[in-house]
Amino acid sequence: MQAVIALLIFPGGLCVLLLGLAYEWLDRKLMAQMQNRVGPRWYQPVADLVKLLAKQETMPNGVNPLLFIGLPLVGLASVLTAALYVPLVGLAPSYSFRGDLIVTIYLLGLLTFCMSLAGSNTLDRFSLMGALRALTQLFSYEVPFLLALLGPALAAGSWQIAEISAYAETHWLILTQPLGFVVALIGLMGKLELSPFDAPEAETEIVAGALTEYSGRGLALFHLSRDVALVVGLTLVAAFYLGGMANPLWFFGKTLLLLLVVSGLQALFARLRIDQTVGLWWRYGMLLVLLQWLLMIVWR
Amino acid sequence: MPSERFVIPIGPQHPALKEPGHFEFSVEGERVTGATVRLGYAHRGIEKACEERNWVQSLYLLERICGICSHIHTTAYCLGVERLAGVEVPPRAQAIRVLIAELERVHSHLLWLGVAAHEAGFDTLFMYSWRDRETVMDVLEGLTGNRVNYSANVLGGVKYDLDEARAETIRKGVDYLEARTYYYLELVVHDPVFVQRTRGIGTVTREQAEWLGLVGPAARASNVARDLRVESPYAAYDLFPVQMVLETAGDLEARVSVRLKELFESYRVIRTILDKLPTGEIKGRMPKKVREGETVSRVEAPRGELFYFIKSNGTDKAERVKVRTPTLCNLAPMMTLAIGHQLADMPMLLAGVDPCFSCNDRSIVVRNAQEAETRWTWEQLRRYGIEVYKCKR
Repeated sequence: MQAVIALLIFPGGLCVLLLGLAYEWLDRKLMAQMQNRVGPRWYQPVADLVKLLAKQETMPNGVNPLLFIGLPLVGLASVLTAALYVPLVGLAPSYSFRGDLIVTIYLLGLLTFCMSLAGSNTLDRFSLMGALRALTQLFSYEVPFLLALLGPALAAGSWQIAEISAYAETHWLILTQPLGFVVALIGLMGKLELSPFDAPEAETEIVAGALTEYSGRGLALFHLSRDVALVVGLTLVAAFYLGGMANPLWFFGKTLLLLLVVSGLQALFARLRIDQTVGLWWRYGMLLVLLQWLLMIVWR
Repeated sequence: MPSERFVIPIGPQHPALKEPGHFEFSVEGERVTGATVRLGYAHRGIEKACEERNWVQSLYLLERICGICSHIHTTAYCLGVERLAGVEVPPRAQAIRVLIAELERVHSHLLWLGVAAHEAGFDTLFMYSWRDRETVMDVLEGLTGNRVNYSANVLGGVKYDLDEARAETIRKGVDYLEARTYYYLELVVHDPVFVQRTRGIGTVTREQAEWLGLVGPAARASNVARDLRVESPYAAYDLFPVQMVLETAGDLEARVSVRLKELFESYRVIRTILDKLPTGEIKGRMPKKVREGETVSRVEAPRGELFYFIKSNGTDKAERVKVRTPTLCNLAPMMTLAIGHQLADMPMLLAGVDPCFSCNDRSIVVRNAQEAETRWTWEQLRRYGIEVYKCKR
């Protein structure tokens, strides 16, 4: 019974979805404030979701219907599964086993993969370009992001999220691994395709990128998946670098701080071209994270 | 394979375009290998309609060619018609014309800065510059009562006068905008991410610019000294001279900074006019009929040289009004330049010349040279337009 509740209502399932919507609103509102706009009201993400779910879904000609309908579901399922392995709202993860860090990162990557597949499934030229760019971006940020999250794992001597978080409770790793923290946070922005890494969905070039042909339910599910991925990502970074598990209010404060930084970075920059994104990650992101690892090894 | 080109269509409906136009970019990966443009979606038959209306009515019609540079269109028209009719326009009216034209340039360039920033995915700059643009819109509204189509020009002079109190509000607005423009200039030249998107992109050398016939800020960014306000001062520009702003690099960054630096020139001219506004009447007497003849009227619109050809047959209606807007001169060169760039640069490259499609769209009838010349009436043109769109649907 407890397992079912953990899976469906709290801390997994429904709770993550609501948290995702709340974080999306916060992100949009903060961005708006920084851009000298008013921004949406608190229920706007929910309203968007309800509207999209109620809308008729148009399936374009020439797509594989199974993939067209199935990919949003797989995407959402993968991030919801990932949410079970991270210390949501500062509580111990619902499920835990050795090496679940790798599984979680894999599940988060699966969402990007689903979006790219959804893009290449259609014949639309904007979608194809968007899918191509999304995959290119995946190959650029994924390695530095993974290595940045493995830094704390190395320090804790475990690849289990619960153990790393427990270790981080006594060691604020942002102090000992600042470079890793920076790469992890910016890697998260790349993963979520937030500005300035939004070349895969650059509206002035390729309309909505891989999701151009999606309307209605599929689009709603993809948006929801991205919100959940935002929650999972922020939770991971906060738990690893900002003092592990804590009481929910304190933990919420930490993730909020991270969100504030992320929103600020979004408002600060012009969009990077896709070749610039790749260059940034392999030239600087990778170098920073390797430097961090080198320092850690020398320290020991 | 060369036969299987992957074409990315931009427009007629596309988030990058605020007006309808159709561009096709064939790409290999992200690299553009070919570009074509199709215009004409916003053709409204204004030139033809001018032949059916009297001189005064045409003025209001021509003002609506463009929503951004409306005043400069009527200025070009008025200067031409007044020259044909031999009407002397009071210096105060000419000065007010220039004042509004420069305010309009400020409004147009700030709007353009926002659009360019948006195309680069830099929405923060977009929001900020459009907020500041409200200042100049308010100034224009205070002066003429309208934010966009000011309707300030009339044949023989201007409609609105200004007093010292009004001049003071304009000065205040200009002071604020000048401080903001300094900030933006700093930003677009020094922000590393924005500069990455503009420096060395779409470079036009001086020779190319002259050969391709660029006009306006796009030409001046390539060090081509082409500014009608300096070359052949019209209205009151001989009393209030403008310094030409030139850049040498010829890339997108130069096009941004030329426009922003031009703003300082505009602010200076606005202040000078407010300080030394000639006294006297603001409107001369204009006859109803204009004597026979033809003239060419050229003015410097915010986007470049605006050309009017006006022909009168001695009645109260124009025989022919021909308009050539700067966008037409600037768009085609950009299609040549596009090849070899990245797809991601295309929206910025297009925005770099500040295209204005509804300004630009004219109809062309291609006819066989052997055929006798035919002239269409307004009614025929109208019916033709209806037929064309019926077929398209």
